[in-house]
Amino acid sequence: MKALATAKIIPLLLLLAAWQAASATGLLPKSVLPSFWDVAASLAGMLRSGEIVPHTLASFGRAGAGFFAAVIGGVTLGLLMARIPVIERAVEPILLLIYPVPKPAMIPLFMIWLGIGDFSKIAVIALACLLPVVVATFNGARSVDNLLLWSARARGTPERRLLWRVVLPAALPQIAAGVRTAIAIAIIVLVSSEFISAEKGLGYLIFAYGGVGANDAMLAVVIYLAALGYLLDRCYLAGLRRLMSWHAFAH
Amino acid sequence: MHLLTRIIPIALLLAAWELVARVGWVNPNVFPPVTEIVLRWLVLFIDGRIYGPLWDTLWRALVGLAAAIAVGVPLGLLMGRARWAEWFFAPLFSFGFPLPKIALIPLYVHWFGLFSLSKVMLIFTDCLFPMVLFSYHGARGLSPVYLWSAQSRGTGRVRMLWRVVLPLSLASIYDGVQVAVVVAILVAVVCEMVSGGGGLGELMIRSYRYGDVRTAFAMLVTISLIGYALYKVAQWLRGRLLHWHVAEA
Amino acid sequence: MCYGNGAEEVKALESIDLAIEEHEFVTIVGPSGCGKSTLLYLVGGFLRPTSGSLCLRGRPITGPGPDRGIVFQRYSLFPWLTVRGNIGYGLAEKGMPRAERNRIVDEHVRLVHLQGFENRYPRELSGGMQQRVALAQTLACGPDILLMDEPFGALDAQTRRILQDEVRRIWRRDIKTVLFVTHDVEEAVALGTRIVVLTARPGRVKEVLERDFDVTDGEEFEANPAFSAFKLRIWRSVKEEVEGALG
Repeated sequence: MKALATAKIIPLLLLLAAWQAASATGLLPKSVLPSFWDVAASLAGMLRSGEIVPHTLASFGRAGAGFFAAVIGGVTLGLLMARIPVIERAVEPILLLIYPVPKPAMIPLFMIWLGIGDFSKIAVIALACLLPVVVATFNGARSVDNLLLWSARARGTPERRLLWRVVLPAALPQIAAGVRTAIAIAIIVLVSSEFISAEKGLGYLIFAYGGVGANDAMLAVVIYLAALGYLLDRCYLAGLRRLMSWHAFAH
Repeated sequence: MHLLTRIIPIALLLAAWELVARVGWVNPNVFPPVTEIVLRWLVLFIDGRIYGPLWDTLWRALVGLAAAIAVGVPLGLLMGRARWAEWFFAPLFSFGFPLPKIALIPLYVHWFGLFSLSKVMLIFTDCLFPMVLFSYHGARGLSPVYLWSAQSRGTGRVRMLWRVVLPLSLASIYDGVQVAVVVAILVAVVCEMVSGGGGLGELMIRSYRYGDVRTAFAMLVTISLIGYALYKVAQWLRGRLLHWHVAEA
Repeated sequence: MCYGNGAEEVKALESIDLAIEEHEFVTIVGPSGCGKSTLLYLVGGFLRPTSGSLCLRGRPITGPGPDRGIVFQRYSLFPWLTVRGNIGYGLAEKGMPRAERNRIVDEHVRLVHLQGFENRYPRELSGGMQQRVALAQTLACGPDILLMDEPFGALDAQTRRILQDEVRRIWRRDIKTVLFVTHDVEEAVALGTRIVVLTARPGRVKEVLERDFDVTDGEEFEANPAFSAFKLRIWRSVKEEVEGALG
């Protein structure tokens, strides 16, 4: 297994090597694409000086707030929709209406309504992340085996707690998948919104550096962002595995 | 009957919106009534201001998508059938996947300018991933019996790809197309919002900057309708192209 | 034709030494997992033996080819082609001109009694009809040897009988060499002039028996005492292997 994992990196390393070689030999002029080394040096500089930290915090603060709001709201809404038909019939058409709207396109509107500050960005991110979470929760809660519910009722679980103690854990795998999608969406909407209007944040940095032609710094932030996104995804999966194993123990 | 019950919540929502805007609880320049938005939308079509940007966004999305299909499908199929291709390309794609390609807008603008080319290139890049992924999965899940049957009737390894592997993978490939269509419109609009150069996204941002909220809203409606229409067209097309298909359990 | 040894990674087969004459109808029976299909795929050239050799008319088999046609149990029809398209596929690959291709396709549609269905898609056909097409598309390429891998296993008993008669009829007409794998002993006796019994995995040749009486189309096998006796003989042989494998 380990051998396979390391072998996978080889094509990437080859690509990086080719990039560096092309830049060094002049095949790829610095004006078109800075050399890998320049980008790496720029990134190292940013990390060392810590200038990237406030931007990272700003960006992930926004994305995090929107994301968590969406997860809490989305799971709640999804569960309610799954168990209470009235709520489903009321909410579903509205969700279907919002679904085809590209959420980044709503950024200007949110800025009109909520100003150009953080709140509008958090709101857009929350809305964008809401949909996959609601849908996943709804589907997961719907497909809960009736036998589980009946046996829980028979053991005296009151209706209200049924939702929390039976439906939610059973739907967890699907919810987890929806939440994972939401992470990716959060990052995309975050960057889009920071491109359009921001004075702080990783998206802002990329846009600003790009605007003045500091391509090495710009790419450094792009790679940094990609790496963070990748790490986030990995941590999420690892955390999920932990949660699932506790869950198995608890029963 | 079923359709009516679905419309009710939407109708209620729109009615509430209209009421709130008319009564003045919110500033109508921030939150215009629905009727005024619809009116503005119609006006844009009547006086023709919308056709240019509409066409720009649409053809950029379609060209980028077409390029992604043309490159992504053969690549994905090859990766699915040839070990070396899988070994080389799969890590590149799984690495690129979590990167928000949108973050590359400034780079693409630097390379390809502020107008259509940079947008088409980014749409191509963004749509390439689902096209490769779905083609790859389609090609991998094949029963070897089909290939043996073709082989024993004289099909060489290269011809096999487009004579047999392609049609068999078509269902999965088309799933990719349906995903990519939505992505294409999204990326087109975001690029236009960020870097200008014509299109619905740019018009929307411009309206916002001039405080013309009604037009901005109308743009949003148009963009959503286009996305929805393309998705529906793709669905219809699927029925024609894949009429012979039987989903295997 | 001759076969040498053939063995596979998971030891599907072991020391098979078999020689098959032209124009024979050889059926291969044995318990599940004994490697009967593997043997067929080796002859077809889809698999390579890990030791030993296979040769056809003195020349070694290196891969699949139009001289050995194969009929699979399922999934051998291309769902995006019509019946005509499927039958004509191999001919198109050969580069045959359209007129001649159409002639041969028509001929084979008639051969398997599918007139009126030639422009249908596989999804519109029943299992039995699909297997007829599978047979037709293989025969259309004019192979010298016909390999059949439990072709009727997924069909109901009546359809199976009808198709067995078809295969026998076609074999008598063209007198090809047929290698037919089945788990159904009755089918093996009804079709094969020579029956090969394989042991349980790893499959070895347990015994080879000649069928010394004729079977006519539409025959009610139960009424023929020679048939029943022969069938019992072979069934016992196979049963031994099945029970031995169960341990």
